[in-house]
Amino acid sequence: MSTQHKVFAISSPGGHWIQLTRLCAGLEAQHQIVYALPDKLFKPKGQQKIYSIVDVSADDKWKLIPCALQVGYILLKERPQVILSTGAAPGVVAILLGKLFRIRTIWVDSIANVQKISRSGELVKTKADVFLTQWEHLSDQQQILFKGSVL
Amino acid sequence: MIFVAVGTQFPFDRLIRCVDEWAAAQGIEVLAQIATGGYLPKHARYERFMTTEAFNTALQQASLIISHAGMGNIITAIESSKPIIVMNRQYELGEHRNNHQADGLEWMAKLPGVYTAKTCEDLRILLDQHDNLSAGSQLGHERRQRLINFIDQAIRA
Repeated sequence: MSTQHKVFAISSPGGHWIQLTRLCAGLEAQHQIVYALPDKLFKPKGQQKIYSIVDVSADDKWKLIPCALQVGYILLKERPQVILSTGAAPGVVAILLGKLFRIRTIWVDSIANVQKISRSGELVKTKADVFLTQWEHLSDQQQILFKGSVL
Repeated sequence: MIFVAVGTQFPFDRLIRCVDEWAAAQGIEVLAQIATGGYLPKHARYERFMTTEAFNTALQQASLIISHAGMGNIITAIESSKPIIVMNRQYELGEHRNNHQADGLEWMAKLPGVYTAKTCEDLRILLDQHDNLSAGSQLGHERRQRLINFIDQAIRA
């Protein structure tokens, strides 16, 4: 069939990660997926390749620097064709670096953001090649698309 | 056994204390995941953080899940066919960095098998009828598959 793509999947731990893994579970058969997650508690399942990165949130901006260095290194080493993120801060870092490295980027805004696009999503709304919300009413059908949700 | 989990980012003492005090009075077994909480349960067993493996084991053994209004726990509870009560963190009480969990509570309440509480009083009313709380059915398969198919196409584009 069509060619397999290498996808770099990255998110914060917790709910963002749960959503990311549920989406990737449906993509692993078609694509090679490399993960990055700021969490030491997670154990990979089977063949999954997971990089552990520095935990970063909007509250501790100085950690964005080591996080960006790590993500940059992984991108240069793995050379993915696509970056996929559900947020939050580590996803922003990856999308911005992806833009720099000319890698195709896909953002799926967390289902938790029902009233408005997330703060991290707002930062990459105009940067990501594909920007998805999981709520139909938040879609503008141009830049912000609704194509389904994890629940 | 009731499993109460507050996620990894922040403590949620208001929730842990509420469940602990209720369970102590009722003599019901509780396992609590309390993150960096300052309130240490007097009745419930507790862990601060759990591996995914330990978390999943606790989830399977529990008859009821109680959680902060975080997406991760709701998704896993629904997938495991367990009823879940969620209480939202309040920005005003310094429990989160914004109030999105309060916004989320409105639509979460519409999911079958998900029960919502804003206060300890709300939570106690639900806990007093915990035997009658039932799990939702697996839902949203079609919506999830549609999203995955779209992402698959976007990856290939």
